[in-house]
Amino acid sequence: MPVNLFTNLTNLLAFASLGAVFALILRNSLSGQAQMFALQSVLLALLASVVALYAQSIELFAVAVALLIVKGGVIPYVLQRAVKRIGMQPNVSPYLGIVATLVISGALIIVAYYVMAPIVASDPLPTASAIPLAFAGILVSLFVTVIRRRALTQILGFLMLENSIFLLALLTTYGVPFIVEIGVFLDVLVAVLIMEVFVYRIKENFDTLEVGQMGELKG
Amino acid sequence: MMLVVLLLIPLSAAGLCALLRNRLACEWVHLFAASAVFGVGLAVAVQVWRGETLDAFNELLYVDALSALLVVVITLLGAIAAVYAVGYLRAEGETRTRRFFGLFQVFLFTMLLAVTTNNLGLMWVAVEGTTLATVFLVNLHNTRTSVEAAYKYLILSSMGIALAFIGTALMYSTGSAQAGERAVDWTVLREAASSLNPQVVRLAFVFILIGYGTKAGLAPMHTWLPDAHSEAPAPISALMSGVLLNVGLYALLRFKTITDAAVGAEFASDLLLGIGLLSLAVAAVFLLTQRNYKRMLAYSSVEHMGIIALGLGFGGYWGVLGALLHLVGHALAKSLLFILSGSVLLKFHTTEMRGVRGLLRATPGVGGAFLAGTLALLGMPPFSLFISEFLIVRAGLGSRAPWLAGIALALLVIVFGAMLANVNRMLYTAPVETPPTAPAPSANMRWALAPLAINFTLLAVFGLMMPTAVMDALNQVVHVLGI
Repeated sequence: MPVNLFTNLTNLLAFASLGAVFALILRNSLSGQAQMFALQSVLLALLASVVALYAQSIELFAVAVALLIVKGGVIPYVLQRAVKRIGMQPNVSPYLGIVATLVISGALIIVAYYVMAPIVASDPLPTASAIPLAFAGILVSLFVTVIRRRALTQILGFLMLENSIFLLALLTTYGVPFIVEIGVFLDVLVAVLIMEVFVYRIKENFDTLEVGQMGELKG
Repeated sequence: MMLVVLLLIPLSAAGLCALLRNRLACEWVHLFAASAVFGVGLAVAVQVWRGETLDAFNELLYVDALSALLVVVITLLGAIAAVYAVGYLRAEGETRTRRFFGLFQVFLFTMLLAVTTNNLGLMWVAVEGTTLATVFLVNLHNTRTSVEAAYKYLILSSMGIALAFIGTALMYSTGSAQAGERAVDWTVLREAASSLNPQVVRLAFVFILIGYGTKAGLAPMHTWLPDAHSEAPAPISALMSGVLLNVGLYALLRFKTITDAAVGAEFASDLLLGIGLLSLAVAAVFLLTQRNYKRMLAYSSVEHMGIIALGLGFGGYWGVLGALLHLVGHALAKSLLFILSGSVLLKFHTTEMRGVRGLLRATPGVGGAFLAGTLALLGMPPFSLFISEFLIVRAGLGSRAPWLAGIALALLVIVFGAMLANVNRMLYTAPVETPPTAPAPSANMRWALAPLAINFTLLAVFGLMMPTAVMDALNQVVHVLGI
């Protein structure tokens, strides 16, 4: 694969995966938000395969397959199951309106380019130019997690944060060593299963999924 | 080989507890595993402090003097909390014991893996594993408050630690240019430190500090801590506050030594001084208005983590030695007090200080120990926290920023007054006419509290006449930290 094509492909896919975070902000239904996460995971699996092909790394290809299965298949399934089981939820507006959220997220992209400038400059890999996009994904996911009220949306924000970090590692170093990637997938999978249980427990104890309604612990 | 055994014991005990249907059998497996792992942990540490380094699986596991110190802290306090846990759950009439003991052992396993692996990525996986293992323990009783605490703990810790992964990946990216795949090991990164890109290292360390600082309970990332530590059952609070925070600190230290070697010691020190002083200040404010004794102990952990961060920030031989000694002292004193808080809770059925009256008269043993433990925690002689706080303040006065030591000292005085006033009110006020006594748990719980004598003995010994063998070990750790 020629270097130019490789650089363009990674840029495109990194950009699309940042787009998925923005799509999460725009969609209001939990099921739709979960779909955006699945979409982002598929994009990342694709990107990892492209890098694997370019760097001729079988290990990285295995990581891509694991990512597709765990984050593109199993976790979205678990989330959709949770959405179905808790049933229809009344619409709740986030702490911040959509327009304001988009404006701040846009500003975060600029911040990302600024913060990551030394990394881009020092990284010799052809994927370096896309690094700020990955970091922007991290910042925007963090922001979404903080401003959303519903537990499930917070969990999706956390998952997109994980995805963006995976992307960052992929772009800066073609991924961390195999054993670490697999360990991280395992952690994320267990974390999501535990979070699912907590969605039910919050519903059962507080009769809502709004995290802000839990406020008994203070001081 | 010994390292593999060290990790296998808690792991197989957890597996056994999942298989065994019998409560009593599970208790015995749990107790046996906790004491066996302490024996092996001690043997590992002694071997390392005698000058050997232990490794396994092509250096995937690697133990030096610093890891050895953490292994001893984890396994010793793990064993003490394990004994108390059996008594506590019996007295409480808790039925989900198999889940409790299983997760307790998984918790021990993840902490031990975090401090014995050489692979910084695997260390991250293990530290996140500690959160996952403890979240159901925090939420054991499934009350409204514990659901809130556990959810907050799960989300905030996971997010925080995710940021630490960014730092780990960045560190790896700048190291792999020289060292390839092995640049994920801290031994390799430390060797290659001088060739790392300083700008990348600085940025990486900021992420590491926020990420592992969240796990270490440093302000302003501490907000999950008072909730989780106060809602967890007492033996788990003891381990989370006394031991788990130190594992977060350990992760921070591994990166600090690399960062110091790559960009000089001032960068990390300044950050630690800022965050340490903030932790101390936040804790002082919340301790002044605290009405819940378990939350009081939790905020006191934020305070002590701040003191340790200050010691590391002041640096030099005395600052770092003070920080290490403080780490050990705080671990001993805080786990002691959290365990006692469990017995107070069993007696008075409330975690509100208002509801605890005449503790000293109602249960002289628990009350007296609570008082002595509080004095130890507040840095009164003859206990070792007096020496360590003295060393840290002394290092601060001789450092670049002596005024910082002055502010820290003033905050320590506030904390001292606030905590002692609170504890006094619990201890000496006249008991309520009919203290709501459970079927005398204190009598048949005596054996479960007996191991606390070890905490007291060590606190006093380290404060009065530091054994040369221990001093020697601490000096080796100081050396590992690059002093």
